[in-house]
Amino acid sequence: MWEKIKFWGKWPFRTLQSKLVFSFLLIVLAGGTASIIIGIRMVGNTIIAEAHKKVQHDLATARIIYQEKLNRIQDVLSLTAKRDFIIRAVMGSQVKSLRRELERVRIDYGLDVLTVVDRKGVVLTRTRSPYCSQDFKGNDELVRKALGKETVSSTEIIPQDELVQEGLDLARQAYMEFIPTPKAKGRREDKETAGMMMKAAVPILDINNEVWGVIYGGIFLNRNYEIVDKIKDAVFRGERYKGKDTGTATIFQWDLRISTNVKDQNGLRAIGTRVAREVYDQVLENGRAFIDRAFVVNEWYIAAYEPVRNLKGEIIGILYVGTLEAPYTDLRKNVIYSFLGVAFFGLVLVLLLAYFITRSITRPIDNLMKATEGIAGGNFSHEVPVESRDEVGHLAASFNRMVRTLRATMEELYVVNTKLQDLNRHYLEMVGFITHELNQPMGVLKGFLIMLQDESLGPLTTSKQRQAVGTMLRNVNALINMIQKYLHLGRIESGRMEVNKAWIPLFEECLAPVLEDERQQLEARRMQVILENEEAFRRVEDEADPVLLRIVFNNLIGNAVKYGKEGGKVWVGFREEPAELLFYVKNEGRGIPPDKLGVVFDKFARLEGELERRRRGTGLGLFNAKQIVEKHGGRIWAESEEGKWANFLFTLPKGVKGS
Amino acid sequence: MEGRRKVLVIDDEPDLVEMIRMALERVFEVITAFNGKEGVAKARSDRPDAIVLDIMMPEKDGFAACRELKEDPATASIPVLILTGVAEHFGRTKYHRMGGMEIEAEDFIPKPVDPNELLRRVAALLKKE
Repeated sequence: MWEKIKFWGKWPFRTLQSKLVFSFLLIVLAGGTASIIIGIRMVGNTIIAEAHKKVQHDLATARIIYQEKLNRIQDVLSLTAKRDFIIRAVMGSQVKSLRRELERVRIDYGLDVLTVVDRKGVVLTRTRSPYCSQDFKGNDELVRKALGKETVSSTEIIPQDELVQEGLDLARQAYMEFIPTPKAKGRREDKETAGMMMKAAVPILDINNEVWGVIYGGIFLNRNYEIVDKIKDAVFRGERYKGKDTGTATIFQWDLRISTNVKDQNGLRAIGTRVAREVYDQVLENGRAFIDRAFVVNEWYIAAYEPVRNLKGEIIGILYVGTLEAPYTDLRKNVIYSFLGVAFFGLVLVLLLAYFITRSITRPIDNLMKATEGIAGGNFSHEVPVESRDEVGHLAASFNRMVRTLRATMEELYVVNTKLQDLNRHYLEMVGFITHELNQPMGVLKGFLIMLQDESLGPLTTSKQRQAVGTMLRNVNALINMIQKYLHLGRIESGRMEVNKAWIPLFEECLAPVLEDERQQLEARRMQVILENEEAFRRVEDEADPVLLRIVFNNLIGNAVKYGKEGGKVWVGFREEPAELLFYVKNEGRGIPPDKLGVVFDKFARLEGELERRRRGTGLGLFNAKQIVEKHGGRIWAESEEGKWANFLFTLPKGVKGS
Repeated sequence: MEGRRKVLVIDDEPDLVEMIRMALERVFEVITAFNGKEGVAKARSDRPDAIVLDIMMPEKDGFAACRELKEDPATASIPVLILTGVAEHFGRTKYHRMGGMEIEAEDFIPKPVDPNELLRRVAALLKKE
């Protein structure tokens, strides 16, 4: 859970919107990646499968063309064998004229070899230099079959010695040194001397259907490009891709290219090169067709190979068609790129959409947040627009209701508060007025009573008179005290308490006058004041308002006199702390209960009890003292051991002289 | 009563003036005035040996009156004792101030006035002289 918060709390996810957009992005990326991978796979496979199917088709077409050629040779021979001059020549062994006639036939029909054999298998005539004859051809498979009245055609390997007999140039045409080919299977030989020929043999029959000989002929395939080019034209119609022929066809003699339109690096037909090892194994060794991508000479092709067999059914070579792989891989590449392009475009679109959608979702929340901050800062005028009827809209609506209610409440409170402040001010003004008006006559009363008491206006004749004057004076003093405290309160409450700070000797200015004022009271209660740390006390100076501090000392010492033990001690002391000055007034007496230590500084706070009732305080002295000390930046507090003593302490921050 | 020193009491409150007069009459001759203007005039005409001066008065308050007395060479040497109200402060040391205004006077005594204390202070002022 915490981990999650940490993750979402990181930089890009600070806002709700970024979180939503990121989530969108994640979903789209996951889904997009999966569909792209599947899509690319499917497209790729379809394209490859299409290519395979096509090349298979092409091979079938090539096979037909090849067979067509073979059939044509057979047809030509069949027709020729039926011609009179041949039969006559064979029967009459008129070799000379026969050779002349046949040579014309051979050239007319584009055959490389055309030979007539007599019924014993001996060559009567050849139509090609050096016109060898009289050799025995009865072992030849085709000739043998033809002598048995069969018409046959097939592709055959012709060894060099036979080639020499059929025509010197043919042996030369067949001779081929191997060109080193990458990926080809190693062979012991390094050249080929035999040749490969499409060959047919037809019996020469008389009217009685008796065999008089055989005519055989064929087309030599080595370095003969007629068939492969025909295949190429028929199948690929001369298509080219990036300057290369897309389609290629090849006839292999065993694994050697003897007729091909595959080009080598120099753009020449790549005869003399050999087939790749895997094709060798599959087609030549195992006699199966091979359809796959294959490395042909120096390019990748989608290729189809199938074995070429001789009459006996032995594998003697391969027929190949192939189409350049590049167009397909390029097609696949293009498809993939457009796929990715579309995906990227989609991603951008989704991000933009996500941005705007989430924005429309989060904007009201944003507004709410800002409005909430406004309220937290005390601005109740901020309402948010209600933009929708969904949960956020409801939230905004109830938020606005809340704001209105709050505003109304605040306004009411403000009105009530203003009234209360007015009332308070009137009350204070009245208190101030009354106390102020009382002050002067009390002063007059006090003065006369003092003079009466000390009989400077004449002797008091009875003790009752003296007692009466004494009581009056005590009450007048109490009243004056009370009036003064109310006057202080008035100043403090009305905020008119000015602190007129000056650099003053505290003992002399603040404590000494108070002690003087209280001397009579102290004597009356037989109390003894003990000054602690007096020497330092007399010397200490600080920045303070002397009038106000005098009030503080007056209140503390007045309290000590009022509530302290009759005949007890009052300690007044001073201590210098690192950053502040500490003053205290401690008296022997009943002290203060622990739970009251804090509240004695409250306004009108008074302790319950016989003593307190008799002493008649205002409950203002300590409150005033606290206000004054705090105005000076100090603290005031009380300590006490109940039944033994009470101690009031306050601090003043040390000022800097001359500041 | 020849030889008795003369004290001028200036205050707008007749009862207080009366009380002060009674307090001081035990030792001094007392003349009175009920506002600052009258007080200054009497100080010039009657040449008192000391003046007790209130601050809050109609027709020229204590400040103005005191300043005028001190500026006049004829009356400048007469010691002045000022009666201070509860909200006012006059230091006992060299620090004399009232509501932020400096005032030059020889002594100060807070109200409510203790008649014996007042008498002692006036006597002290005159003895000093």
